[in-house]
Amino acid sequence: MFYRLSGTYHTSYEADRRLWKIPTDRWLVIGLLVLALLAPLYVSPLYLGSYVLPWVIWSAAALSLTLLMGLAGQLHFGFAAVMAIGAYASIHLVRAGIPFEIALLLSGLIAAVIGAVFGGAALRVKGLYLVMATLAMQYLVDWVVVNIPAISGGAHATLRTPAVSFLFLPIESLAARYWLALAWAVLLTVFFMNVKRTSFGRALVAIRDKDFAAAVIGVDPFKTKLMAFFTSSFMGGVTGAVLAFCFYRAVTPEQFGFNVSIQLVAMVLVGGLGSVIGAWLGAGFVLLAPIFLTNLVSGLAAGGWVPVSQNFLSHLPLMIYGAMIIGFLLLEPLGLAKIYDNIRKYFLVWPFRHARS
Amino acid sequence: MTFLRKLALTTALVAGLSAPVAAEDVKFGLLQDFTAVYTFVTGQYNQGQQDYLALANAEGALGDGNTVTAIVRDTGNQPQRGIEAYNRAKEEGAILFDFLSTPVSAAILDQAQADRNVVITPAHGRGDASDGTVFPYVFPMLPTYWAQAAALIEHMKTTGGLEGKKIAIVHIDSPFGREPGPILTALAEQEKFEFQAFPYASPGNEQSAAWSEVRRYRPDYVLIWGAGGGQAVSVRTAIQNGIAPEQIHSVIWLAETDAANVGPQMKGVKRFEATAAGTDHPIIQRIQEKVIDAGKGAGDQANVGNSYYNLGVATMAVAVEAARLGLESGGPLTGETLKAGFEKIAGYDAEGLMPPVTYTAEDHQGGGAGRVSEWDGEKWVPVSEWKASYPDLIRQVIKESAAKYAAEH
Repeated sequence: MFYRLSGTYHTSYEADRRLWKIPTDRWLVIGLLVLALLAPLYVSPLYLGSYVLPWVIWSAAALSLTLLMGLAGQLHFGFAAVMAIGAYASIHLVRAGIPFEIALLLSGLIAAVIGAVFGGAALRVKGLYLVMATLAMQYLVDWVVVNIPAISGGAHATLRTPAVSFLFLPIESLAARYWLALAWAVLLTVFFMNVKRTSFGRALVAIRDKDFAAAVIGVDPFKTKLMAFFTSSFMGGVTGAVLAFCFYRAVTPEQFGFNVSIQLVAMVLVGGLGSVIGAWLGAGFVLLAPIFLTNLVSGLAAGGWVPVSQNFLSHLPLMIYGAMIIGFLLLEPLGLAKIYDNIRKYFLVWPFRHARS
Repeated sequence: MTFLRKLALTTALVAGLSAPVAAEDVKFGLLQDFTAVYTFVTGQYNQGQQDYLALANAEGALGDGNTVTAIVRDTGNQPQRGIEAYNRAKEEGAILFDFLSTPVSAAILDQAQADRNVVITPAHGRGDASDGTVFPYVFPMLPTYWAQAAALIEHMKTTGGLEGKKIAIVHIDSPFGREPGPILTALAEQEKFEFQAFPYASPGNEQSAAWSEVRRYRPDYVLIWGAGGGQAVSVRTAIQNGIAPEQIHSVIWLAETDAANVGPQMKGVKRFEATAAGTDHPIIQRIQEKVIDAGKGAGDQANVGNSYYNLGVATMAVAVEAARLGLESGGPLTGETLKAGFEKIAGYDAEGLMPPVTYTAEDHQGGGAGRVSEWDGEKWVPVSEWKASYPDLIRQVIKESAAKYAAEH
């Protein structure tokens, strides 16, 4: 009723290959995109600057990581380091006089090359061993950034981003910074939806499911894994640069620490591995739930509802947040994306009960 | 509302009348890390801040029925949460911010400067922010890490001499741990001692590798430069490696909790302090009487009077004094008038809780005076007088670093 059809029935390969198999989905996404584009007009600066903007950027980061973890099945626990490389590279490139547009691409390439080198070293190992190898990358990059003043920006290790413009639009006002971040996130989203339909995307999935079986059917595991690391690190590097220029505007090594890598993994897992909408929902949940809960609990405390010490008050949101993650994963191990999918399927055929996807 | 109030005020001033101004509620944003990295200090520090603000309100420190309110939020040391908390508190009207977190402070510094809101960075953050001409809205307020290193070196000089001596600096491997480096280099030349740095990996739960190197170096003095749990490990491992507690000199981050963790061996260890510890001070006594005994304390009563608690009290005492002076010029208090209030503070010592501080438009450190205290087995006992050490050198380092920052941006 809501989707104006009862299940999906394709009568041609053309229809089966379409990105939006149901018109309603397409309209929904276009509607959301228009809302997102116009957000600076109707969202207050507080919410745009501290909720929507970081959400968009972290969604791009989660999309970059889910390409590697969800599609190619390669665990990566050092993705914040990849973003750090992109952020620091872009700032130093812009300071060296390279136009911002090119610096963005170059910083992505630098992150991709370094990421692929570590990925290459990690290719001989799988699963938990790969986790250890990527952790090593996290700590090595941290160490290099902290210990080389030329990179970190000297004794105080804070590097401010220079003023830049992107295609003649000065990246200064909140709206401009938001639009640039949105453009990058939308680009990644479109890329991700389409990469699943290419031979590269199918090769990634084959590697994820069983790499020697993939080799048997003619997918070169070495090349494909390396490509996965390269692509994902490129996306992560540019996202790091966007994060630095559009959101933080001053970078310190702590902003890309190990805990950030874990947050990124949590975004991907809570959202749902390898899913576009999962990356968006996961990033939103992991990033914003603690903030909402902190404000909620503080509000309740101010109203005299929870008379407790500041220390407990600060930990209470984290306890609720932890319980929520466990709750969601118990309810639906495939993540928030699957929960959305269940709801969508229910309404697809409502008022009837069973749907074929 | 603000516009109307401004308008009313301006009209009153123009007419030359003393119009009755509505009592004002000054808001301070204490947006700190209660849950991640800085937990070793934040709880007690923030408790001291809140208790002092309660005392200030109970005593009407701001006059004319004006009050001061703290907006307290946890940022978990995450910059994105800090930015959200900053923006929200700003909207709620806060004009002074204390983040007590290096990454959060770094991410907000520029925005706060642009918004003309005062950011205090007591005992953390950039040392060169002491130069008020480059960082007009940042107040390090208390001695920077550079001034702390200078004070400890001067204490070594007065107690045992420095010429030909060897100093080992054992520090956490982070930008914070590297802060005293330039000061030591400059002083080593001036005072003719030699020093060597021994970094250990963050967070410092395991430091034996660094300390066995230190033992081979045979230092006359040891400086330990870390924070949190790593500090107790430093002291313990140093003693295991044959270093006498009397040789150990610590940065400001060594408190009663660490002493309890180390145990009786701790006796004789020295540290820098910017504010006096203990409850034997008029302000702390009055907090006990009017806030704690009245059941309005912000946390565990056992914390009252310990080092970090008193540090928090001192920061808010200075901030409230600045707000009072800022309000004297009339009109609603804004970031700008609060900054002017800070720069009017001269010789304020929070009734003996801290050395007299004087802020000017150039010096936002307040002179950089501090002292050294020693753990006597039960409490911290001061072993030197309040004074600023090597002030010319510190001023020069601040100036050079700030000029470099100004040139880059």
